[in-house]
Amino acid sequence: MDALPREAHSYAMELRQVGRAVDRPLISVVDDDESVRESLPDLLGEFGFAARTFSSPEEFLASDCVDRTRCLILDVAMPGMSGPELQRELKLRRREIPIVFITAQREETVRPQVLEQGAIECLFKPFSDTALLDALNAALRVH
Amino acid sequence: MSGYGKSTNDVPLEGSIPTGTAPLESILCTEELQRRPSRPPDYEKENRALVKLVSALADSPGTIFQTLAETIQDITQCDSAGLSLLTKDGKKPHVEGQRFYWPAICGMWNPHVGGGTPRNFGPCGDVLDQNRTLLFTHFERRYPYLMPVSPTAEECLLVPFYVDGKAVGTIWGIMHSERRKFDAEDDRVMASLGKFASSAYQSWMHIEDLEIQVAKREKAEAEVRDLASGLEAKIRRLVEANVVGIVMWNLEGTITGANEAFLHTVQYDREDLAAGRVRWKDLTPPEWSDRDERAIGQLKATGIFQPFEKEFFRKDGGRVPILLGGALFEGSGNEGVAFVLDLTEQKRQESARVYSEERYRVVVETASDAVVNVDDKGSIVFANPATATIFGYDPAELAGKPLTLLMPEYMRELHQTGFKRYLATGRRHMNWQGTELTALRKNGEEFPVEVSFGEITRDGHKTFTGFLRDISKRKQAEQALRRSEAFLAEAQHLSHTGSFSWRVATGEITWSEQLYRIYELENSVPVTLDLIRTRVHPEDLTLYERMVEEARIGASDFEWQYRLLMPDHSIKYMHALARPTRDQDGQLEYIAAVQDVTARRLAEEARDKARSELTHVARVTTLGTLTASIAHELNQPLSGIVTNASTCLRMLAADPPNVDGARETARRTIRDANRASEMITRLRALFSKKSAVIQSMDLNEAIREVIALSLSELQKNRVILRPELAHDLPLVTGDRVQLQQVILNLLRNASDAMSTIDDRPRDLLIRTEPEDNDRVRLSVSDVGIGFEPQAADKLFEAFYTTKNEGMGIGLSVSRSIVEHHHGRLWATPNNGPGVTFSFSIPCRPEGLTSDGTRAGRIPSVSDAA
Ligand SMILES: Nc1ncnc2c1ncn2[C@@H]1O[C@H](COP(=O)(O)OP(=O)(O)O)[C@@H](O)[C@H]1O
Ligand SMILES: [Mg+2]
Repeated sequence: MDALPREAHSYAMELRQVGRAVDRPLISVVDDDESVRESLPDLLGEFGFAARTFSSPEEFLASDCVDRTRCLILDVAMPGMSGPELQRELKLRRREIPIVFITAQREETVRPQVLEQGAIECLFKPFSDTALLDALNAALRVH
Repeated sequence: MSGYGKSTNDVPLEGSIPTGTAPLESILCTEELQRRPSRPPDYEKENRALVKLVSALADSPGTIFQTLAETIQDITQCDSAGLSLLTKDGKKPHVEGQRFYWPAICGMWNPHVGGGTPRNFGPCGDVLDQNRTLLFTHFERRYPYLMPVSPTAEECLLVPFYVDGKAVGTIWGIMHSERRKFDAEDDRVMASLGKFASSAYQSWMHIEDLEIQVAKREKAEAEVRDLASGLEAKIRRLVEANVVGIVMWNLEGTITGANEAFLHTVQYDREDLAAGRVRWKDLTPPEWSDRDERAIGQLKATGIFQPFEKEFFRKDGGRVPILLGGALFEGSGNEGVAFVLDLTEQKRQESARVYSEERYRVVVETASDAVVNVDDKGSIVFANPATATIFGYDPAELAGKPLTLLMPEYMRELHQTGFKRYLATGRRHMNWQGTELTALRKNGEEFPVEVSFGEITRDGHKTFTGFLRDISKRKQAEQALRRSEAFLAEAQHLSHTGSFSWRVATGEITWSEQLYRIYELENSVPVTLDLIRTRVHPEDLTLYERMVEEARIGASDFEWQYRLLMPDHSIKYMHALARPTRDQDGQLEYIAAVQDVTARRLAEEARDKARSELTHVARVTTLGTLTASIAHELNQPLSGIVTNASTCLRMLAADPPNVDGARETARRTIRDANRASEMITRLRALFSKKSAVIQSMDLNEAIREVIALSLSELQKNRVILRPELAHDLPLVTGDRVQLQQVILNLLRNASDAMSTIDDRPRDLLIRTEPEDNDRVRLSVSDVGIGFEPQAADKLFEAFYTTKNEGMGIGLSVSRSIVEHHHGRLWATPNNGPGVTFSFSIPCRPEGLTSDGTRAGRIPSVSDAA
């Protein structure tokens, strides 16, 4: 790979991405924080998942990913619709996507609430890569 | 008296009381006077009349009764007026024969002058019996002898008058018709004229006495004349001695012979005399010829004339005062001798004496000091009018009384002993000039006097004249002055304010007592600039030197603050205010007030400390409500860091390792770490207790940071924040953290105010804009619940809150922060729902320092001019 010219290398990378996207489970990330949207797909890629990011629940609902998403990584607090609200909305739409909440707020009230509503896990930011992987594996096992 | 005796009517001189006449009551109507409407008094006329009467009394006492009668008629406007005098024949009243006669009458009854009425049966007798004014009507009904006296009297007002308590006569006015009735005013005027009549009567009697005396004197003179013949020899000797002027004269007016002394007096010479040019008639000024005539009359009658003073013309036309006395030669009816004494020198001396006496008298009488003359027995001989004012005694009342009367009891003996000793030994027991003593008023009041005494010896007897000045007023003023000085000193003491004056030219410095106390210097030490210098705090010395220099050059107001370093190393804070003045010589002199503001400074420092503590507490409290938000803001980058770092490790561990991906994630890790560290720095600043740091800052930038911190909290509260930050906002100088605290507060409050609002979007607008005069304005508008108008003022009070969990210090601290930046923070209700909180601050607030004010010159009013 190292021997490949730079253009060839990027091409190979793209192929790998596409190939993965075809056969790997899709994980959607909804977070208004850019650094999360930036960093998570790479990690999910390393885990062997395909990833799509959305900056708001509305954006996610409007996309074509709702039906294909095997697991949703969802931020709690966002301008406009919040994470729990999206959870409720999906329930209403009978789209039972497993959800892993991530939140930067250590508000203890949110976690039991969302778990009660059927969330797989609620992780506090910053979370470790293994904690996320465990949560995702658990989510994928459910279905 | 005989001059009034002429009777021109047939009024009976003797009266008897016929039986069956009308009773007295039937002719009296005195009470009517008070019932009748009275004319207004004419004081002016009355005064004029009295003046006329008094001068008539002086000038022509012989006709005074006539004048009085005329006056009565004039003032009362009656038809006839006159007076009745009781004869002085020594008989007792009520005895037949004693009667009233009428010396003067004017008006219709004038022809009856000299007539009269009996004492025991007539209107005048009735008045004297009843001892009061009586008003008669048609008295001829009772006293028939008055029937023929025409015209008849419709009304007669009769007033008695007295001398030495004895009734001597009446004055009266008569109305012969009903034209006018007497009234109460006539009664009053007549009473006052009655008093005058009494004095007129007395002086008239006096004149009578004089005439008797003149007659006696004339008799004595006749005896002298007999002696005159024997005098001739003596006269001759006088002539030759030339001590007095001696002249031989005849009644035709010629001087037939004269000695040198006479010629010298009138300045003629022998030739003039020989030529007959010296005639006594020509020498006599016209106004003296009357007097000469009298002397000639005397001469003719007695052969001698009493020496009298007159004037002669000198040859040069000037006048010479002389004393002239002389006699006819024995056996000659025409020629005589006279002596002429030149009085020029005497007159001069006399007038000088009169003048100085007069001057003395005027001084003494008009002096405001009491002047008391005391004899060598210590009795008062004379006291001036001021004595009455000061001591309350009538001067006459004091005459003959001991001087000790004017002293309090306890001083009397001391005075008497001292006085006696002085008379015996000449040793004074007190200073005679300006000694302050205590005196006693008639009413028993003691008061301070300043006494000066002088002494004159006359005929071997000492008399003393004392000047006593009432100095109670001065004493009071002195006391008041002393009091106000003491008051000032006390005020200076209480306010820790001293004062000093500094004459720039001479370097003369005068300090108030309080200033010595502040500087902790001995009162006795003379103050110099160098001495002051030793107390000034070393750090403020340059300032002190500059102040002194500036003060020397320019005369303007100064205000400055400096510190003193005391010997015990304590520090005093001083605040001085100086104002230039010019003294009498036009020299620059500063008057200054210096206040020891140490206590105030310490209090201020304590207050500042308390305030900054409060500010900190308020900030931490506000931040406390934001912990979730802050944690979010911190966890966000941390989350990025952890994720990126994990990804990076996994990429490097892969086979083949994804180096490019790892590099990219490592780069992101570093970026997020920086972001987190910035955030932590900012938070640490907000939480720190560090005192204010004044710096130039971008307000918009500060706002953005605050927004970043609060954003998640705002989001949680579903607040929609809309920043409108001006692009052209100038930098401001201020304390970044404190201003951020204010902004944070306003955002928090706005968010709180909208927490219950569900019928409209929770819009929050934060806006900045540049203002005129180099200021910027920030405003935060919400659509919340707003506040009641009456709460508008309370919002900014500390601990005012309407929230369950509020502390109520946010706005009060915010306002003090803004004011510290020389700005203003206020709240206005919006047109729609909600309120807008705004602050406006100058971009470069003057004198804003990080740690309060230090020593330094404060710009004063005059600097601005
Ligand atoms: N934006 C606002 N709208 C309506 N009321 C306000 C607003 N801001 C402040 N207030 C009123 O002022 C009070 C004092 O505010 P503050 O000093 O910040 O203390 P606290 O927020 O702890 O109550 C608040 O309790 C509230 O009643
Ligand atoms: Mg508040």
